[in-house]
Amino acid sequence: MTPLSHYLIFSSILFAVGLAGALMRRNILVVFMCLELMLTAANVSLVAFSRAQGTEGVPVYDAQVLTLFIMAIAAAEVAVGLALIVAMFRARRTVDSTSLNSLKD
Amino acid sequence: MLYSAISAVLFYVFAFAALLCAVGVVAFRNPVSSALSMALCFGFTSAIFFNLGATFLGISQIIVYAGAILVLFLFIIMMLDVKSEEERGVSSFVSTVVGVVVAGVFAGLMVKAVEALPGSKGGRCPVHVLVESSGELCVGEEAEAAAQMPKLQPYGGALPALQLPEKSSDTALLGNTLFSRYSIPFVLLSFALLAGSAGAVAVGRKLRKD
Repeated sequence: MTPLSHYLIFSSILFAVGLAGALMRRNILVVFMCLELMLTAANVSLVAFSRAQGTEGVPVYDAQVLTLFIMAIAAAEVAVGLALIVAMFRARRTVDSTSLNSLKD
Repeated sequence: MLYSAISAVLFYVFAFAALLCAVGVVAFRNPVSSALSMALCFGFTSAIFFNLGATFLGISQIIVYAGAILVLFLFIIMMLDVKSEEERGVSSFVSTVVGVVVAGVFAGLMVKAVEALPGSKGGRCPVHVLVESSGELCVGEEAEAAAQMPKLQPYGGALPALQLPEKSSDTALLGNTLFSRYSIPFVLLSFALLAGSAGAVAVGRKLRKD
């Protein structure tokens, strides 16, 4: 019923919202959440393509396996990234990304 | 018929709700509200996965994102006590303008590209045009060259209905693919998770002053 293009448009708008957030916000935790949004947008388009490429009603499961891998890597990335944010908070007492400017001086 | 109509309507409802929650992630000033809005967005996205027939991915989306990742985020927000920090200027005017413009241009480009998919309205795939025009340069028979041309998937119409083979489910087929063709990447993935958790502990521990 729903064509593939609507799923892809949904996914690209979701990605664009995440991109806008990553560029606009200064709280590094929120920037990190926006990165997760972008990963999810990519997942949506992968799953939609797996349905569209399928033959005789069976989706192409390679794309869904890739989506599963992206989810697992995202989980590992969140663990490492939040540890980095904690380390940054210890060093700077803030989570403002504009405070990371000591290379400039 | 009724079933597919309902699922089509539900797709638009969930897509709209997910986009609304995604905007909420960006717009809320309080990071806790942002995190909860992100969880809602992932919930609606998993509903879209169910809509596409990817039930296992929908479930794991809920478990991994709305479960594990959300709890990690909330835990860190509470540990760092970000709320007590004064919210001095959520973002400057320049970065807001830059963010909106870049994201708008990106979304416009993507929508344009999606509209040009082969088989859609006014769809014209650049690769297809290239292959067609290269037919004139072919040495052999023209029909033969046309037969060798890669067949393009028509992406225009509605998605084909899901018809899984008898006595199998989405999860079983996904598992078959995962544990047959992708068994070695799967093992490597577990090493990546191990390295991630070990790295998180290594980065997050207190530095000893000596």
